[in-house]
Amino acid sequence: MAVLTVNDLCKTFGAGTARSNRVLDHISFDVRGQTFVSVVGPSGCGKSTLLNIISGVETHTSGDVSVTSDEGRPARLGYVFQDPRLLPWRTVRKNMLYVQDKDDDQARRRVSTYLDMVGLGQHGDFFPGQLSGGMQQRVGIARAFAVEPDLLIMDEPFSHLDAITARGLRAQLQDIWAQSRKTVVFVTHDVVEAVELSDRIIVLQPGGRIFEDIPIDLPRPRRQSDPAVATLQAEVLARLEKMKAITPQAATAV
Amino acid sequence: MARPVIEAPPTTPAGTWLEGEELARRAAARTRRKRLALLVAGWAAMLGIWQVAAYYLPFGTLPNPLEVSVEMWEIVASGALVSDFLASVLKTFAGFGVAVLIGAPVGYLMGRYGYWRAFFLDGVTVAGTIPALTYAVLSLIIFGLSNLGPVLAVALVSTPYVALNVAEGIRGVDQNLVKMSQAFGRSPQQIRREVFIPTIVPYLFAAVRMSFAVAWKVEALTEVFGGTNGVGFQIRTRYQLFDITGVIAWMALFIVFMLLIERLLLRKLEQRVLAWRPEERAAR
Ligand SMILES: Nc1ncnc2c1ncn2[C@@H]1O[C@H](COP(=O)(O)OP(=O)(O)OP(=O)(O)O)[C@@H](O)[C@H]1O
Ligand SMILES: [Mg+2]
Repeated sequence: MAVLTVNDLCKTFGAGTARSNRVLDHISFDVRGQTFVSVVGPSGCGKSTLLNIISGVETHTSGDVSVTSDEGRPARLGYVFQDPRLLPWRTVRKNMLYVQDKDDDQARRRVSTYLDMVGLGQHGDFFPGQLSGGMQQRVGIARAFAVEPDLLIMDEPFSHLDAITARGLRAQLQDIWAQSRKTVVFVTHDVVEAVELSDRIIVLQPGGRIFEDIPIDLPRPRRQSDPAVATLQAEVLARLEKMKAITPQAATAV
Repeated sequence: MARPVIEAPPTTPAGTWLEGEELARRAAARTRRKRLALLVAGWAAMLGIWQVAAYYLPFGTLPNPLEVSVEMWEIVASGALVSDFLASVLKTFAGFGVAVLIGAPVGYLMGRYGYWRAFFLDGVTVAGTIPALTYAVLSLIIFGLSNLGPVLAVALVSTPYVALNVAEGIRGVDQNLVKMSQAFGRSPQQIRREVFIPTIVPYLFAAVRMSFAVAWKVEALTEVFGGTNGVGFQIRTRYQLFDITGVIAWMALFIVFMLLIERLLLRKLEQRVLAWRPEERAAR
């Protein structure tokens, strides 16, 4: 069953004014439960806008977006942002409890479980300022998983980290995802990252249309050293090159 | 003649590092000793001038430092210090309490909403520039001979500080944290409690520390004229008895203890509440 349905979605900033800017143009796609979908595309093609509309932070001009939960209750969403966005005056554990709906034993157990999964089981009582940037980002990831979201939204969660830290976190994200199987929409600039993590890659083109919807059928866990991964990465990159050739505005980005 | 590198005398890096450590420690100790010597010299000079002045001024006008110290000791030993000092401190903090209760919401509104800022800004700024003495007099007129006068004076002096600092703090709130909270479906009350209030607490402390320097003087002054207990009241009583030694002794004790409160109590409390800040941890 589809957890996320986006149907004929359009978004125009400043509609009806001189600075009217169409960012998303008749976008339709479904995301089935327990799949990991990446959205890639050049800077400014509307990826963050799409996520903001899905999460309800941004309004849309026309079309429908719906997130369904399995038990008929309101859908729960989880977020991982580009930066950790932790409350500096709360410990790691309190930060994670802050976004839980109830502060009960179950919530505490979830928090501990996911802290362990990101390798910070010993750091629950630390303040964010006592952790490195990579560790803080891991707390951000654990926090989002620990709300047991129906849909988990991630907007370039590794783009502020150095390459080595980012690689470690990607491997960790794969492991956590393999265990929890949350439905994820993951935005990134990085095709290599998208191929490593996703079941499916949606390529947005400038002007906000879907250029391509590429299934990634590779066994997990995937490692950079695996030739099959590298081959597919090269192929997806080649297709993006093709998009740049067709849509000249994209040539400056990706 | 080229000497083989391998025969170079082995200098252990640990040795040189320890030597460096030792040198740095000695330099720091020297600086500390110098600073202490200057401090002592300053006090000696001050007491010396006082002693000389007491000697040359007409007999009985100015008691010498020794007489004052004896008197101070008697005040401490008699237990009068504790009760009157406590009375003054309680009145000061009651005044702060009132200032926070009024100033914090006003500052919150000013920081959050442009309209309220426009509404309050001039009033708060003017209130902040009125001399503290005016507030002392105003409080005396309102309450006459009462313990409420000093409380009101402290509240009047401190409220503008609190309001302006809180307004500043609210404008420093990290909007990304607000967005994060909204994305995770937190209620406005939760966002206020977990994001806004923790952001303004350091500003609140700054306001209290800044206004404390003025507040305790105003408190004592108001007590001198209208108090029924407290340090200022004691100073007035001694003055009416022409007991200059007693006046100076009470004044000195008051200064010492207020400085202690400012330096130790407020600072420690701040360190505790703001323990999450890296700079607070480094200072401990
Ligand atoms: N609040 C806004 N008001 C007006 N225009 C906006 C607003 N937010 C985004 N835009 C415009 O929408 C377009 C898409 O922005 P968006 O942030 O979605 O891009 P993106 O694909 O996430 O880019 P990046 O990869 O650089 O993060 C941009 O042209 C931007 O100028
Ligand atoms: Mg973006």
